[in-house]
Amino acid sequence: MLLEAIDVTKTFGALTVVNEVSVSIEKGDILGLIGPNGAGKSTFFNCLTGDLMPTSGRVILNGEDVSMMTPEQRAVRGLARSFQVPQTFETMSVLENVMIGAFLRTSDPAKARRRAYEVLDLVGLADVASAVAGSLGTPGRKRLEIARALATDPEILLLDEAMAGLTATEVRHAIELVRKIHQTGMTLVIVEHIMEVIISLAQQVIVFHQGHQIAHGTPQEVTRDPAVVTAYLGKRAAATAARGFAGDQS
Amino acid sequence: MKRSVWLLLILALVVIYPLVFTTPFLQRLGALVLLYAIAASAWNIVGGYAGQVSVGHVVFFGCGAYASMAFFTHFGWPPIAAVPVGMMASVGIAALIGVPTLRLSGHYFSMATIAVAELARLIVTNVEALGAAVGLSGPVIPRTVFDLSFTSALPYYYLFLAVLLGVLGLTYWMENSRIGFYLRAIKDNERAARSLGVQAGRYKLYAYMISAGLTSIAGTLYATMYGFVDPESGLGILTSVKILIMAALGGAGLLFGPLVGAAILVPLEEVSNNLLGGKGAGLTFVVYGAIIMIIARFYPSGLLKLLLDRLAAAKPAPSDKKVRDVA
Repeated sequence: MLLEAIDVTKTFGALTVVNEVSVSIEKGDILGLIGPNGAGKSTFFNCLTGDLMPTSGRVILNGEDVSMMTPEQRAVRGLARSFQVPQTFETMSVLENVMIGAFLRTSDPAKARRRAYEVLDLVGLADVASAVAGSLGTPGRKRLEIARALATDPEILLLDEAMAGLTATEVRHAIELVRKIHQTGMTLVIVEHIMEVIISLAQQVIVFHQGHQIAHGTPQEVTRDPAVVTAYLGKRAAATAARGFAGDQS
Repeated sequence: MKRSVWLLLILALVVIYPLVFTTPFLQRLGALVLLYAIAASAWNIVGGYAGQVSVGHVVFFGCGAYASMAFFTHFGWPPIAAVPVGMMASVGIAALIGVPTLRLSGHYFSMATIAVAELARLIVTNVEALGAAVGLSGPVIPRTVFDLSFTSALPYYYLFLAVLLGVLGLTYWMENSRIGFYLRAIKDNERAARSLGVQAGRYKLYAYMISAGLTSIAGTLYATMYGFVDPESGLGILTSVKILIMAALGGAGLLFGPLVGAAILVPLEEVSNNLLGGKGAGLTFVVYGAIIMIIARFYPSGLLKLLLDRLAAAKPAPSDKKVRDVA
């Protein structure tokens, strides 16, 4: 088990945003987190990365309890992330952005530079290495965040809506990139709005609704789950869907 | 290649300046520019590179100045021998201020630095052993050459130049090593830096402590040259503001920014003081205020950055292929 969340709960005052969510990810897997806006998936995600500390429950990374560790302590232990709204180092070049990630494993600037170029090649940003990060558009920045995270040589990569705000073509390219990264043996957790992305990538999916985990299974299983359909489309649609599935089986 | 030629040329000009301009006023002016460039370059490490704006840097300047005068007065040390004492005290104070405040967002740190500097000034004003409101003096007649008490500004000029080169050399090394990259990343986006394993709090504290120690050297040099320190000259808030403005005007976060700022502001202040005499003392504040507004409005990244950008725009940018082959 590479990453495990056990009964993770996060409350802000009287408001329970994440309620006893448990999940475990094997090495090499892709886990998808989906749910309507405000369902608590980003909060849960931030409990995994250390940007938020869970109110109760535990987060286990490689057998070690990291629940109360800071993001930088988790990064050292092999956890890397991207942000929903890109948080690139705007005044630094694309290369330097990635070097910041590479510096986690070496203090030698020449080695960090070499490692950064390797990663830039992988994500397809080598041609703009010397451009200022602030000059990139949204797809470029999202790619740069993934590159920067990869440069830390993580064991698990958590992507927070890496496809949000992209056009259909850009989404296809981004999916290809995630596949390519997965093929290198990387374990991934992806938060995503777009169903198509999750279905084509993830082996297991957790569906959030109002802070609760309402479904857990393969993408095929959860998209047929009446509770999921209710959460997304409302009760009437769920009833129609249930009749439809029943019809399939008869 | 081209850059190093330019740098050597400028260095040569700086070295021969006091030999060409031999009047005491101009030599002293040159020495003062270098002295303030040392302090502003030291400030630049935490204020420019790490983006943590200290408005109380005079407290470290004062540590250096007071250490040298106090150890002379009480133990008869040559003033310059107190450099390590001033540095240690400064680094200690920096740790004391930095540990609780650097984890907060920028403004709290700035406010805390002002508060500590003013507190230090008030305390020193009431401590008899530190000369209270009157201040402390250095050796009236030099006992040995180590007292560094000269009538000409020329020896000070070269001493300050050597120290400045040391500070700039250290800054250059830092700029090109991991800590320099990390500080810039923290300044740009602390949350992102932390997600990549950068121990932001620790690196900001390192920068603050290094900066404090170097600023204290400037304080010792100041007291050595003037042979005197009192609460206003050693711990007055105006010195903090001066150091900050020089770095910001020249270009905070740039190696030579503070030097450029000092080379503009120190002559401006000296000339205006000479022209206006005692009557114009308050006017300096007005000028500083105006400069702060002009920098903030028109040149937030400083004059040197403006110049470098103009030069870069004039030349075609190298393609990435070339950059890559070089790297």
